[in-house]
Amino acid sequence: MIRVENLTKYYGNLRGVTDISFRVEEGEVLGFLGPNGAGKSTTMRILTGYMPPNSGSAWVADINVSESPLEAQKNLGYLPETNPLYTEMTVRAYLNFVASMKGMSGTDKEAGIRRVVGSCGLEDVAHRLIGNLSKGYRQRVGLAQAMVNDPPVLILDEPTSGLDPAQIVEIRNLISELKGNRTLILSTHILPEVNMVCDRVVIIHQGRIAAEGALDTLAADMQSDSMIRISAVGVTDALSGKMKMVSGVERVELVGTSTGEEAHFDVHAKGGDDIRSDLVAAVFAAEGKLTEIRKMRLTLEDLFVRIVSGEQKHDEETVDEEPVNA
Amino acid sequence: MHNTFYICRRELTSFFFSPIAYVILAAWTVLMGFFYSGAFLSYAVVSMQLARNPQAAAQYNITPTSAVLEPVFSSVTVILLFVAPLLTMRLFSEEKKQGTIELMLTFPLRNGQLFAGKYLSVLFIYLIMLAITIVYPIILSAFVKVDWTIVSSAYLGMVLTGMAFLSVGLLASSWTSNQIVAAMLAFMILLATFLVEALAISAGEPLSSILRHLSLGMHLRNFIRGIVDTRDVIYLININLLCGFLVLRSLEYYRWRG
Repeated sequence: MIRVENLTKYYGNLRGVTDISFRVEEGEVLGFLGPNGAGKSTTMRILTGYMPPNSGSAWVADINVSESPLEAQKNLGYLPETNPLYTEMTVRAYLNFVASMKGMSGTDKEAGIRRVVGSCGLEDVAHRLIGNLSKGYRQRVGLAQAMVNDPPVLILDEPTSGLDPAQIVEIRNLISELKGNRTLILSTHILPEVNMVCDRVVIIHQGRIAAEGALDTLAADMQSDSMIRISAVGVTDALSGKMKMVSGVERVELVGTSTGEEAHFDVHAKGGDDIRSDLVAAVFAAEGKLTEIRKMRLTLEDLFVRIVSGEQKHDEETVDEEPVNA
Repeated sequence: MHNTFYICRRELTSFFFSPIAYVILAAWTVLMGFFYSGAFLSYAVVSMQLARNPQAAAQYNITPTSAVLEPVFSSVTVILLFVAPLLTMRLFSEEKKQGTIELMLTFPLRNGQLFAGKYLSVLFIYLIMLAITIVYPIILSAFVKVDWTIVSSAYLGMVLTGMAFLSVGLLASSWTSNQIVAAMLAFMILLATFLVEALAISAGEPLSSILRHLSLGMHLRNFIRGIVDTRDVIYLININLLCGFLVLRSLEYYRWRG
């Protein structure tokens, strides 16, 4: 449905994206991840025909964007990073304008507007000026605008940025409802969002694709290593020496000590076996007093950070919760 | 074609939503009324004196059209010098500032249609402004005989000159995301064409006539005297074409640069 081949875009001497290729199948939701300035928006702008690439090609709804931009754009709904709203128009007038520009007319147009006003929850504000709406409502208007002609392909550039937590959940639910109906590319730097709505992710860093794959595959990769954090009181050298002898342990790092001579270790282990009880035994063998033991798990955040910064990081097991602040 | 119409309609709606529309229209009406009443009253005095002095009357050959309407119509270029930048400054720069240009450039829409829609919207406003001024020759015709062929050629000239001024304004607006900068740029370009005319006076031939031909304000004069010269028409239309072409280049450049 969407195909990108060897896209390269320069901004003067600055490199926007370099040699990016990926595909999105019909009905799939692709999460486009990356830190700010990685090239997410650039790729999306090329896909929407807003910006021509220096080299490479892009297909939207199987239409080449460079060769027949107008045809491709008819099959496209796009929400740019800066929500493109005319603040002096009412919601209805704005949607009416966008629908007209996308070539809709008559009852078709009316039905399209009614549909998005309903699905985006805009009934109460339909006759208010966009300039007087809250940010959450404005974002919904932006989404409604992208969907008004019911396009087969939707491209949303950071649809939840700058919203408060409740609004983020609303927009996310809205996006989840779109799943299955259409092909969707969603860019974000908020990782839980990807967990919730995307089938597949492309992680982009410094203008290149750093990782790509289904969420399950990436998650399986993450589980291959494990790390255990142990805090104990005792002789640090003896403690780490005994723990290193436990089978499966790759290395033991002393990450710090706190008052009361409590030492904190990160134990890196290979394979998926649970070696926690062996480690507890090792601590006792070193005549130490165990104060805390925790298994850490690699998360999407970790993978992301590892790719982006080139180093390994771990986090606690509680990441699957809905984040309060994103 | 449809797209051009929808853009034009949206621009007009936005224009009349903003207070600047009413400020410009009010200022225009007041200024034109001021010029007209001044010219009308001084003609009343002059015609009275000439009636007592047939010799001078024969010498000067003052008609109501030349004495009252000519100065009023001539003043249009001076007012346009200020009004055209104000009318056009927001057309592209506001879209750039608000990010809506990204929407426009991803609609199934050609750059030319976008330009045409915006151009027609501002032209429509200008035509409304000109339509208001038609009351002056009508009022005049209640008292004296008005030469309507001269009046219609003058209006043709004012429409063409206005179009050229507006296209310069649109061009300046397509260069920047700041409305004030757009207005100042347009004003400076238009002012430069007036200064060119001043240079022409001191320059020798053939430079003088070249400079005079380049001046935007100059070309209205023939129309106001009832002369429709194809050189003037072609010059003014060429200004439109040139600015239109440069706006499209500017939009292309904007796409490339992002």
